[in-house]
Amino acid sequence: MKYTMQRREFLKNAGLGALSIPFLAGLPSLGYANTTTRKQRMVVIFSPNGVVPQNFWPDEEGEQFALKSIMEPFAPYKDKLLTLHGICDKIQGDGDSHMRGMGCLLTGSELFPGNIQGGSHTPAGWSSGLSIDQEIKNVLQQNPATQTRFGSLEFGVMVPERADTWTRMVYAGANKPIAPIDDPYQMLSKLYGKMKDRESLKSIMDPLQNDLAKLRLMVSAEDRHLLDEQASFVRDMERELQQENPADVGHAVPKLELGVKEVNDNMPKISKMQIDLLVNSFRADFARIATLQFTNSVGQAKMSWLGIDEGHHGLSHEPDSNTDAVEKLTKINTWYAEQVAYLVKQLAETPEPGASGSMLDNTMVIWTNELGKGNSHTLNDIPFVMIGGGMGYKMGRSLKLNKVAHNRLHLSLTQSFGHDLKTFGNPDYCGDGPLALS
Amino acid sequence: MRFVPNKLRFLFALALLILFFTFSDSANAEDQLEKGRKIYQSQCVDCHGDKGQGVESVYPSPLIGDLAVRELSAYISKAMPEGEPETCVAADADAVAAYIHQEFYSIVARVRNQPPSVDFSRLTVRQYRNSVADLVNSFRWSNNFGNEQGLKARYYKSNRQNKENLVIERIDPVVNFDFGEAGPDPENITEPEYAMIWEGSVLAAETGLYEFIVDSENQCYLRVNGVDPPLINIRVKSGDQTEYREELFLLEGRAYGIRLEVRKSKTDKAVSAHLKWKPPHGTEQYIPPHCLSASPMPSWLIVETDFPPDDKSVGYERGVQVSQDWFDAVTTAAVEVTDKLMPEIPGMIKIPEINDEHKEKLKQFCTDFATRAFRRPLSDELKQLYIERQFAESPSSAVAVKRSLLLILKSPRFLFPYLGNEQLDDYDLAAWMALTLWDSVPDPKLLEAAEKHQLIEKDRFTWQVDRMVKDPRAKAKVRQFFRGWLYFDHFSELSKADDEHPEFDAELVSDLKDSLELFIDDIFWSDDSDYRKLLQAESIYASPEIAKFYGLPEVKGPTFEKVAFEPENRAGILTHPYLLAGLAYENTTSPIHRGVFLSRSLLGRFLKPPPIAVTPTPPDLDPTMTTRERIALQTKPIACSSCHGLINHLGFTLENFDEVGRYRKQERNRDIDASGYYISREGEQYRFQGAEELSQFLTKSDEAHRAFIEQFFQYLIKQPIQAFGPEMINELDQDFANNQYNMQKLMLNIATKSALRQRSMKQQLVEQTHK
Repeated sequence: MKYTMQRREFLKNAGLGALSIPFLAGLPSLGYANTTTRKQRMVVIFSPNGVVPQNFWPDEEGEQFALKSIMEPFAPYKDKLLTLHGICDKIQGDGDSHMRGMGCLLTGSELFPGNIQGGSHTPAGWSSGLSIDQEIKNVLQQNPATQTRFGSLEFGVMVPERADTWTRMVYAGANKPIAPIDDPYQMLSKLYGKMKDRESLKSIMDPLQNDLAKLRLMVSAEDRHLLDEQASFVRDMERELQQENPADVGHAVPKLELGVKEVNDNMPKISKMQIDLLVNSFRADFARIATLQFTNSVGQAKMSWLGIDEGHHGLSHEPDSNTDAVEKLTKINTWYAEQVAYLVKQLAETPEPGASGSMLDNTMVIWTNELGKGNSHTLNDIPFVMIGGGMGYKMGRSLKLNKVAHNRLHLSLTQSFGHDLKTFGNPDYCGDGPLALS
Repeated sequence: MRFVPNKLRFLFALALLILFFTFSDSANAEDQLEKGRKIYQSQCVDCHGDKGQGVESVYPSPLIGDLAVRELSAYISKAMPEGEPETCVAADADAVAAYIHQEFYSIVARVRNQPPSVDFSRLTVRQYRNSVADLVNSFRWSNNFGNEQGLKARYYKSNRQNKENLVIERIDPVVNFDFGEAGPDPENITEPEYAMIWEGSVLAAETGLYEFIVDSENQCYLRVNGVDPPLINIRVKSGDQTEYREELFLLEGRAYGIRLEVRKSKTDKAVSAHLKWKPPHGTEQYIPPHCLSASPMPSWLIVETDFPPDDKSVGYERGVQVSQDWFDAVTTAAVEVTDKLMPEIPGMIKIPEINDEHKEKLKQFCTDFATRAFRRPLSDELKQLYIERQFAESPSSAVAVKRSLLLILKSPRFLFPYLGNEQLDDYDLAAWMALTLWDSVPDPKLLEAAEKHQLIEKDRFTWQVDRMVKDPRAKAKVRQFFRGWLYFDHFSELSKADDEHPEFDAELVSDLKDSLELFIDDIFWSDDSDYRKLLQAESIYASPEIAKFYGLPEVKGPTFEKVAFEPENRAGILTHPYLLAGLAYENTTSPIHRGVFLSRSLLGRFLKPPPIAVTPTPPDLDPTMTTRERIALQTKPIACSSCHGLINHLGFTLENFDEVGRYRKQERNRDIDASGYYISREGEQYRFQGAEELSQFLTKSDEAHRAFIEQFFQYLIKQPIQAFGPEMINELDQDFANNQYNMQKLMLNIATKSALRQRSMKQQLVEQTHK
């Protein structure tokens, strides 16, 4: 087992800094869940450095289209797929394309001026607004019928230990980036820490009683009452720990492979662990919103398991004429598509708890990127690929849009959650309202 | 007789002797008591019960107190029986007062009727947090808080922090710099990017949440108590935000490593660094120099779990009860400690990580942890239970360590520190000393001395106690005592920043508190540690704000300076503005608050809660009245007189000091009358005029000395002093006088005498049992 939890993480995980949560109360998970309304969910998955457009976007528009090689892993779910070509991140201002691509992707708001110097543009700081996933999470958390234990969970895979504009895409508000948790053990502890504690506590009850009985004989009759009370508390606790916890999560705590270190070559393993935890926490209804961030904007994953020894970002700068690089970038993006497909598969194969159909029927998985294309650093044609259901969109289509601002996509996402907004992020880019996707 | 100085005591005894012969036989006294008993049975028993225990639904409180017989008699004469006081007056009142006093009213009677005993106790919350912090830190390195009064500052000319680039190295007493565009050293620091570091430690004077505030136009990283990632971690400057705040829970009396790094980047124009904090109950301020040192510190494991508050009903915290809340808190805390400790263990015992390869070292760690937590080595049987069995039954060493630690932290052997050897051996003595002086567990040095039997045999005992008294933990414990003794918790109307005193703001209040604490620290920890100086000193520790407000010569700051303060008027703590302002209302003084404080803390008198609810008379009701007149009027009802006769006349002596602690000669254009008096437990009356004479009386009063000893003793030991035998207070009092009222020596004496007394009581018990 690996212990990486930090002091303040402990506090956060234990809940708002108040550590007085009783252990025996179990996990307030199903207690919140309302089973009468449909559990609508959304996952945003990020992979960096743009795509290879000719191997990514379908050539055709409409319901009849062929999948290009990068999207090949989505073949089994083609009828649940919606590709949105022609969405642009139009946010201007400070920061280079990678920074704006990342910081404005989910926020639709400018970056503040700051001290982080990118490639060639003016330096910038954090985003000036909250991100769409947090907007929706806040809406869900305010309503007792859709409230969950965490509201949202932010997963990461191999995100560098560095907080800057390139490593953060989720914002709780202006200047309030949220760090993704990229250590599966830390995530497990956040989700199930108290359960583990219950197991440990259960095991010490017997020796504790054992010693109390001995000590009882050592003190005078008058002094014994404190120890007797202590012993009766231990007995009560033991009894309660023995019981099946009524507020229990209703499923087995996931078992993670032990000792997986956070190193480049373990990326496939960590990805799978995180996706399993994500599916699991949806099944347990710990949250309805999740993000999964692979590395970071300008991420340098070296996909040695694909036979690629160069870093991803370095490769993405190669000109289109470098066919070797194009081939490798295609492989890299295909690998990311496989991760998305793995998540989709898990959701499709898990029946929706307490309802008919699969979890995928109620979950929209959105795969995106900070750039349209790596070597041009364009913020046009940002990849937005959706798979799943539950948003009321007409799926099984390839759409070609005409340079619409991504803020409008965000408006249609909130709309799907029954939360109508006139604007999100910079209002200048919300002109014609939500994109019509149904 | 017990409460007057030696010489007087002799005279008093002589006088009694004469009286005795005058009345010629003891039958007289017997008759008097018999007469009192009869009156009590006929007139009092219905309301007060046959033994003064009170009667539910009529007058439930017991008849206890410490008025002299004469005062008691005067009160009965005037007020009792309720509604018809004329039925018991003069000689009858004298008789019944004598009877009550003798049978159950006085402290002597109460101790005789129900001798207090040493209570079997659990750790108090304070003791729990301290014990865990010290327990964990005994596996780390240690250091002393230095006296630099500032942080070590290093200014580099580039971002590479090496010797070649170091331009300035100095102590900065506060971090409050606006270097502007020029930077800290325009001649030598010219590169577009460079770094500045302030490093050392910060002393937390109180337990609670501290908010740390960094204000900088540059990248800034603040680490406190070794937290990683930094508490404030601003690599990205964004928008015009320059101020960053984070809270951290800290334990009193400990110094925590602190490190602020500020980096100028190419895009930054100006350079600035400000390091502030907001201590619990305090105001936002630059971290003052007296809380800073340049010494590095190891990090502390601070238990943040909320605990239910301890019983404080008898005036000091004690752990005489266990509740479900407390039990649950201990469970939560055990998990918290284990979670925080586990990742640290590899570093503490020098292994790469917790796994089965290092099983033996891990077992040893758990054994050492248990030894220090239980304050004695483990028997083979306990080692089997707490260590071996956990390792044998767990799926992995990591799980075993966790279980073992949880078990140790939940064990009564840790939580009930007085569980020990029936003989009170060297280890028990070590545990006793550590609780008394530190509210914590013995450190490895003390345990080692216990192992070598060096404590009871005394050869190293005094040396150990001496060492322990000088430890920062002892200093923290002493500070906490004075906060209680000086009523800091009762200062409810300290904010007086209204039209009348616009400068008496939160910042000044916070400075005043520091000033008083510095003053007490200074006296207590000086070589002669003279209790009397607390009541006499004519100087004050002044900050620039204090100097300005009280019209003292200018103080430059940022450190406090010790300056003369109205020597003709002032008398140490009694006239310190923090106390005077704390024991006052927003717009007027409060002789009652001041008098209650003097009665209870300085003279150790017993006061009951007011029998009737009285709304204070508003000062504007009659603008011609002085505060003194108003208070006299307000407490005129006979029901008030038994206590206010004592309270008011002590409080009035401080009337020369207004509600913000300034000296005054007049109130509402009328001269101040600061005369007062005090009637001792023996019925002696002492008169005084103003603070100076009050101070003279108190420094000489044996009642005051005993009151101090008793309160200090009970605070330190958390047990009633009477439980240690009737001679304990007398012996301590005698030694206190012989040692020129040295408070450090008193502390040492309390620790030693209580421990040895406890040992002899235990041994007696054992002997009796074996007979």
